Amino acid sequence: MEIGIILFPLISFLVVGLFGRKLGDLPSAIITVLGSFFAFLLSIPASIKALSSPFSVPLYEFISLGNYTLTLGLYFDPLSSLTASLVCLIATLIFIYSIGYMQNLFGQWTYKFYAYLSFFLFSMLMIVLSDNLLGMFFGWEGVGLASYLLIGYFHQQKYATNSAFEAFVMNRIGDWLYLFGIFAVFYLFGSLNLLEIFEKVDAVDPKLLGLAVLLLFGGAVGKSGQFPLHTWLPNAMAGPTPVSALLHSSTMVAAGVYMVARLYPIFESAPQSLKVVAVIGGLTALFASLSATSHTDIKKIIAFSTMSQLGLMFLALGIGDKSSAMFHLTTHAFFKALLFLSAGSIIHAFHHHVHEIYEVGGLKKYMPITYATFFVGALALAGIFPFSGFWSKDLIIGSAYEVSFGLGVFVSFVSFLTAYYIFREGFVMFYGEERHREHFEEEPKESPSIMLIPMLILAIGSLVVGFFEGWYVGVLGDKKEIHLDIAISSVVIALAGIGLAYLVFVKRVLDPEKLYQSLKPMHTTFKEQFFTEKLYHKILAGGYMLYSKVLYTVGERQLIDGLVNGSYLMAGFLGRVFRNLQQGRVNLYLLFLSVGLSGLVLLTLLWR
Amino acid sequence: MKMVPLEAYLILSIILFGLGVFGMIVRRNLVTILMSAELALNAVNIAFVGADAYLGLADGQIFALFIIALAAVEAAVGLGIIVAIFRLRKVESSDELTDMRG
Repeated sequence: MEIGIILFPLISFLVVGLFGRKLGDLPSAIITVLGSFFAFLLSIPASIKALSSPFSVPLYEFISLGNYTLTLGLYFDPLSSLTASLVCLIATLIFIYSIGYMQNLFGQWTYKFYAYLSFFLFSMLMIVLSDNLLGMFFGWEGVGLASYLLIGYFHQQKYATNSAFEAFVMNRIGDWLYLFGIFAVFYLFGSLNLLEIFEKVDAVDPKLLGLAVLLLFGGAVGKSGQFPLHTWLPNAMAGPTPVSALLHSSTMVAAGVYMVARLYPIFESAPQSLKVVAVIGGLTALFASLSATSHTDIKKIIAFSTMSQLGLMFLALGIGDKSSAMFHLTTHAFFKALLFLSAGSIIHAFHHHVHEIYEVGGLKKYMPITYATFFVGALALAGIFPFSGFWSKDLIIGSAYEVSFGLGVFVSFVSFLTAYYIFREGFVMFYGEERHREHFEEEPKESPSIMLIPMLILAIGSLVVGFFEGWYVGVLGDKKEIHLDIAISSVVIALAGIGLAYLVFVKRVLDPEKLYQSLKPMHTTFKEQFFTEKLYHKILAGGYMLYSKVLYTVGERQLIDGLVNGSYLMAGFLGRVFRNLQQGRVNLYLLFLSVGLSGLVLLTLLWR
Repeated sequence: MKMVPLEAYLILSIILFGLGVFGMIVRRNLVTILMSAELALNAVNIAFVGADAYLGLADGQIFALFIIALAAVEAAVGLGIIVAIFRLRKVESSDELTDMRG
């Protein structure tokens, strides 16, 4: 039964991938939705069973290595089964939404898109449910491949293919570290099975374990778009919006956080390495939210917000608060998917021709449902009571204050920025003058209901999921109290951020354009992600390109080609020289014969 | 009886052989080339016979007889070929027979 959770997406991937062209695009989409929906249905009884007692499902033994056998299997415990349900639910909703979003592309081999989506879901479920590190690595690579294919889905656009390349390369760096982490774990524990590893955690050398943990975390940094492997995440917005929503909520970037939570017993026994996790997470959270305050791309602002929220999750993991990190991952999946789908709804209304928030404005009147869902998502992200983000973020802020007051203030500042940038985006797009009139003749219309229904379901989810906080934390074997003072202060801080955005972008107390002009250096720095992207693209990638060009012109063109061409030129030259000897004259041949013979005789005589 | 020394035979043989080869190289007339070849063959005969007389053996003389037979055959076949070429192509110079050119 439980195996169906990963089998349904796999089957729909195979069916759509192999026969999608014959089936047509709409049936392919329906098969994809059904595949993930059945997986979701099956994951519910599995979760209920796992909540009472964790269990394993061995599937297949594929390589026997003398004293160790590599196996493929699933492991269900509260963490993995609840995450699997979450992934399937969000994926199902996004798949339904994508039918509406991709409608204009139907008939252009869009079945490929659905095959990739199913594969994406299957790979993510492999990561979540695998009972050993190798199966996890398989899924890890699978989501990397699927994200590459989906980010570069509009492959006629140079920007999209470049972004896909960038995502793949950045992930590759992370995957490389992760693979070495797996080697280190196998070296230390002699096993890749999660349960066996957890049993032996105390028995191994903590210093080596710390190194292994850091390597594994390197994989999470790549996959979750944390500093310094972050630049692919905003550029991944080149893909279709449902892909961004999927990538940023339930699959792909969540894999990094989930992996750390999954292997938390190992991470816990290497506290020095956990500090690295916390520092990287905190740094990314601040860095990304500062970038988000200045960016103007509709989807990139939300992408930076994902980066920043993932940073907060890593920070929570780093300070030893696994349950709140995972709970934030859960709530984040809802409201981030919602925000992306709302942004996609706006993009869809303008026939996929808007990208900047300043290209639109005053959309509240035209798209009331999108307006409502976007603001539900934004309120949840900002952490306003009683939306889901409030509950999960409050847990993280509470843990941060427990560690030190400074860290608490830091997290509060990040959530202030979060509230500011997401409402900046919302206010610019939905209020103010109707800037889109300059570019578009027709009036924007609300999206079709096949797109609105998943958005509404996610909006309801973003509203109510927060109330399961106590239950979720309890299920993961933890206990948390809501600190009233922290709760109130964090809501006040979030409201301050919203208020600032409201004053600037709706009331225009300060003219935003003039403000940008006067703070131009700072604005540019934030917008350019502190020039890290420029650094990577221009200096690292550009330097590498230059290096290759030099190697090409000198090594390839001169040296190797010179050798090859030189040998053929030399052969031709010698041929032309010696051809003159072959004139077909018997007398000359005789002369050569006698000269050669005399030479040989002379040689033998002189040799003595 | 006074023996002719071996060196005399060999020197004569070398001179004749050299003349034969020289003739084959420098002359263009096909019949002359054939004659030069005969000269070279007979130079070898002299060397064989001279060496035999010096050593008191008979092998060289047998070999010389073989070579004489061979030279006769060669002359017959060679002349036949030359006549055939002359009939076919109306040439008698080896310079004009460059079909073996590579």
